[in-house]
Amino acid sequence: MQPQGIPLDAYQLVAALLFTIGLIGVLVRRSALIIFMSIELMLNAVNLSFVAFSKFHGQMDGQIFVFFVMSVAAAEVAVGLAILVAIFRNRETASVDEVHLLKG
Amino acid sequence: MTEGILFSVFSISAIVFAFGVIFRRNAVHCALHLVGVLLSLSGLFVLLNAQFIAAIQILVYAGAIMVLFLFVVMLLNVKGETPLLTPGAAKGFGFFFALIVFVELLWIVLTRGGAEGTSQPAAALPPGFGSPAEIGRILYTTWLFPFEVTSILLLIAVIGAVVLAKRKFA
Repeated sequence: MQPQGIPLDAYQLVAALLFTIGLIGVLVRRSALIIFMSIELMLNAVNLSFVAFSKFHGQMDGQIFVFFVMSVAAAEVAVGLAILVAIFRNRETASVDEVHLLKG
Repeated sequence: MTEGILFSVFSISAIVFAFGVIFRRNAVHCALHLVGVLLSLSGLFVLLNAQFIAAIQILVYAGAIMVLFLFVVMLLNVKGETPLLTPGAAKGFGFFFALIVFVELLWIVLTRGGAEGTSQPAAALPPGFGSPAEIGRILYTTWLFPFEVTSILLLIAVIGAVVLAKRKFA
């Protein structure tokens, strides 16, 4: 007997869509701030995928992974936004197109 | 039935808010749309029996991390960029690349990576699934070492943020 419910594929589809939207944001936006938000979007899509797999396998390790992803995201945001503030202080811009000192 | 309605509402609002994040001009609007995505996702987490994760999603993400984002947006006072998207061939390449990734993800989801089995939930979840007590038990037994490493990572991040944000590099 199969319990009726939302199938795993539905959650994975939503996660795939959110990940793709975040990827579009990273690739086509110019503001470094929005690129950071898009990265958060992609991390959250993966979190949804983890939690969905966790339920459908009946094991809680997926939820622990989400916990770690959240702490890494917090560390990443703290350092990333500090870098952004430093860049803005030196260059007066947050656009990634205008920060090209390393471009050959 | 109720589960289906809630799933539809939360997932559609998450996707609509996600489009708002990447296509709004004003960075503050983008940040508020991202809060919408995070709240919708925490609703989905509750549907997936992850109550504790849903709670810390709201507390840590929608609370702490988004406040940090809004703080920096208002500190930098960035104007809405014109044009909105990166110009030239890079934009077309970006959309094309994202489309390829989406088709790949879709293919993996639909074929399930060739794995056997159903896509229905495990017949009976263990008692206390997703509760703080059970999460704490696993976190401090099986995952104790990664947990300690994470604390060191956070310490390094704090030091790095302070050093980077200092007015002058010593």
